[in-house]
Amino acid sequence: MPYDPGDDVIVIHQPREGAASGTFRAFAATLKGLKTTFARVPEGTITINYPEEKTPVYPRFRGRHKLHRFEDTGLEKCVGCSLCAAACPADCIRVVANENTPDNRVSAGERYAAVYEINLSRCIFCGYCEIACPFDAITLGHDYEMADYNRSDLIFTKEMLLAEPLERTPLRTADE
Amino acid sequence: MPRPVVKEITFTLDGREVTAPEGMILVDAANQFGDVEIPVFCYEPKLGQPVGACRMCLVEIEGIPKLQTGCSTPVRDGMVVNTQTQRVHEAQRAVVEFLLINHPLDCPVCDKGGECPLQDITYGWGPGTSRFIEPKRHFKKPLELSPLIAIDRERCILCYRCVRYSQEVSEDYQLVLQQRGADSYVSTFDGHPYVAPFSGNIIELCPVGALTSRAYRFRARPWDIEGAGTICAGCPAQCNVELTVRDERVLRVLARDNENVDDGWLCDKGRFAYQAVHSDERITTPLVREGDELVPASWDKAIEVAGAALEKAGAKAAAIAGGTTTNEEAFLLQDLFRGKLGSSHLATRAGGEQPLDVVRALADPKLQATVPDLEFAHTVLLVDCDPIDEVPVWDLRIRKGVRRHGTKVVVASARPTALDPSAAATLRFAPGGAEAFLVALDAALSGDTGNLGGAASAAGSNATAVSEFADALRAAGEEVVIVYGERALRGSAGRAILNIASRLNLASIANAGILELPASPNGRGLREAGFAAGHGPGFASVATPGHGGEEIAAGLASGDLQTVWLHHVDPLRNYPNRPAWEKALAGAQTVIAVESQLTDTVAQFADVVFPAEAYPEKDGTLTHPDGRVQRLRQAVGHPRGAGNTPGSGVRPLWQVISDVARAVGFDEGAALAGSQVSQRLFEAVPFYTGLTLDAIGGRGLRWQDEATFDVPASEPGALDVPSGLPAKSEAELRLGTFRPLWAAKEVDIAPALQFIRAKQVVELSPADADARGIREGDRAEVGNGTRIPATVRIRAAIPAGSVFLAEGIAEHNSNVLTHGIVEVRRVGPGSTEPSSLPIQSQPAVEGLAEMPPSAGLPIPPREVAE
Repeated sequence: MPYDPGDDVIVIHQPREGAASGTFRAFAATLKGLKTTFARVPEGTITINYPEEKTPVYPRFRGRHKLHRFEDTGLEKCVGCSLCAAACPADCIRVVANENTPDNRVSAGERYAAVYEINLSRCIFCGYCEIACPFDAITLGHDYEMADYNRSDLIFTKEMLLAEPLERTPLRTADE
Repeated sequence: MPRPVVKEITFTLDGREVTAPEGMILVDAANQFGDVEIPVFCYEPKLGQPVGACRMCLVEIEGIPKLQTGCSTPVRDGMVVNTQTQRVHEAQRAVVEFLLINHPLDCPVCDKGGECPLQDITYGWGPGTSRFIEPKRHFKKPLELSPLIAIDRERCILCYRCVRYSQEVSEDYQLVLQQRGADSYVSTFDGHPYVAPFSGNIIELCPVGALTSRAYRFRARPWDIEGAGTICAGCPAQCNVELTVRDERVLRVLARDNENVDDGWLCDKGRFAYQAVHSDERITTPLVREGDELVPASWDKAIEVAGAALEKAGAKAAAIAGGTTTNEEAFLLQDLFRGKLGSSHLATRAGGEQPLDVVRALADPKLQATVPDLEFAHTVLLVDCDPIDEVPVWDLRIRKGVRRHGTKVVVASARPTALDPSAAATLRFAPGGAEAFLVALDAALSGDTGNLGGAASAAGSNATAVSEFADALRAAGEEVVIVYGERALRGSAGRAILNIASRLNLASIANAGILELPASPNGRGLREAGFAAGHGPGFASVATPGHGGEEIAAGLASGDLQTVWLHHVDPLRNYPNRPAWEKALAGAQTVIAVESQLTDTVAQFADVVFPAEAYPEKDGTLTHPDGRVQRLRQAVGHPRGAGNTPGSGVRPLWQVISDVARAVGFDEGAALAGSQVSQRLFEAVPFYTGLTLDAIGGRGLRWQDEATFDVPASEPGALDVPSGLPAKSEAELRLGTFRPLWAAKEVDIAPALQFIRAKQVVELSPADADARGIREGDRAEVGNGTRIPATVRIRAAIPAGSVFLAEGIAEHNSNVLTHGIVEVRRVGPGSTEPSSLPIQSQPAVEGLAEMPPSAGLPIPPREVAE
């Protein structure tokens, strides 16, 4: 027996709308959304005017590295031991050490880092270098603005890492 | 001497049965056969008898109430050893804690950090904490133990390794432990710098960072570097080395223990002369002479000029090879000269060639001794050579044999050798008398008294002395190893050596034989590859033998030869008779030089200069004097030329020779890859057949173990007595020369070795010095017509009538003197400046000196592209 679909077919009809009800349907949805929007207006703005304003970061945020000096003597804390380079999973640190001499005393130990380079285009900001450092000479700072036009400009030398950043990144306060 | 017989025994180690050779030290047996590591500091098998000083290796042995030191206990059958009990662990932790009491733990600034046994053992077996809160002992640091070695006494754990090395291995007896107990420290007796030919080995021996290399000071940490195994091509000893490479620069040379070659030691030349590789003065681009000046040229141009000159000279071209020339380069070069140019004028030695049948008989595999034979033979005979200058590590090997196995050393030489104090018999002949001595020794061994007297007096000795010497040679036993310097091979000397070998029956006695000390590091390999006037690859006969070294010089001067290719050789510095070579090179139409420095030869005479590769840049094979074919493997890239443009700098020399072969239209002599040349060489030399680069590997292969080389047997025949020594008057002396260990261009360039650069020294007997009113350290002039200034050293072991000057040195080289008879006269008192002394040995007044600032940075900051 051939199948007759007649009994199974359900024909659905769109509601027949007039101009008024159609218009209402369109605006009601929009207004529903706008209600949420206007309800947030009293809360004030959350976005900031970057780059004029910067997002503050948490104290333990891991940004661009900094090398430190002793505050009293001005000598570098880094002795060029290369432990950071050994710890680095991205292999982005290169250290070449040299010996301190009476005429050229750079660090407090026997040796100092004559070359200290971090390739920031490779760095994954894991902070292992900071953990590995036996002299607290390298820490990860708060700067995150490191975009550049040239890859080779992202190899930071010792002088660049020792220098204070031009502009300080604001720190998030405790209650923020 | 029979090698020790090995009997296997079984003992119990941590509850497991372990089989090991009887008498093996427990620490070694546990490590090698039981897979158990027992920590050690002071134990080092290379140093001989253990001392048990550090107590780190304590183990529990059943039946013995107290803990025993594993490093001084040989294993016995049925022994039950426990290394993992509570008692052992407590003892090990206590020893580490005790050793660290005075250790400053300055690992971040210590060069040993990362490859330090003390670090490793502390992590593995130490307690992790210390109860010691009192102040540690302090020394001034770092101090200069020698210009090559820095000593940091705070880090020293007093394991005695360096002191034992100095006392028992190198036998220079300079290092001692001063004071007692907790105040002990390592020092030289009076605080003078520890300068010795093998001083660098204590850097590697030190298990902590107390003795560190000054050349490597703060250059890199172990995780910054790569190791590249190769062999040192500085002398015929061809020690196996591992180069430490960082950023394409060789920073350090370490020994790569090979018992069959070097026994794990290196000389200071091999250890520190690597600095010459990265010298700023290296030639890195081809140079071509335009007018009077050498100007940098492109490779194409240099190859074209060289090719044109060779093509024009044809059979009038000659080539001399030496230095670090590999077998492959020698093979390609002789192929080009024989196959295309029709010239057989190929020389590797300054003197003449021996007849071909003698050359073949001397290379007879049955007659070849090996390096370990030096240690285990009954008697080692040294003829006209001083191992410490020519193959330094053999000196240590022979000393080891004398000290530990009772080997007798008998020395016959013109100049007293460093081994004389250990020798059972010594015989001095007059300089140049080696050939006559060998003939006399042959006569003494055969009982031919007729020849003996004449030959002995021709050697400047006497019949009684030679007979006594022959008796001493035979006295200890039948296993005799004869080591002779290549310079002795003149006239009938080769036949005399063969006679002596056959009279002592060396060919049929295992572990006995002869060893030739070639004048250039790969002398044996060059000749086996066919780079010789008289024979082709594998000592095959050639139709028309060419000229040897002296004849090439004469031919160039007279115009019979036109062009000469100097492959890694500098005849003006390293060959005798400099005036003759100056004439020869001036007479040559074209001089093609492969050289890395602007030497006199290059600067004055070369027309085309190809930059030479340094040995860490080379790939190829070398053949050790005992026939071991070893691989040179490239460790660093070739330096680029000016402007750093790719393709401008140094090229592999097989490629250069191939390009020249193509330029002269000899395409079959050109190769596409270095390994292809090796393959061709192995096919061409019959006894290298079957060798592959893989099979040679890192340890080398002695071809005598795999292949044979038939030499027709011959009976020793009577030899003619060589003509006597030239007559001299009472006021004159016979001049002999010697090549000091430090007479090498690499030493002249390496900054670390500047203090020990070879300077001219005249060595006199006390009698001759007294007769001339000369005292030790005076300035004197030596010569006959031409005179050269030198500092006087008086040696009691020199017989009256002989005088010795250094050859192969940069300034005041003895090869400007062409007469064997010279006068010596005093020109003035010695200078008291320490720098004027040939070797800095002035004691510092108050202990060791503080270290002057170290040298500049070897690794520049990375160049960042703009």
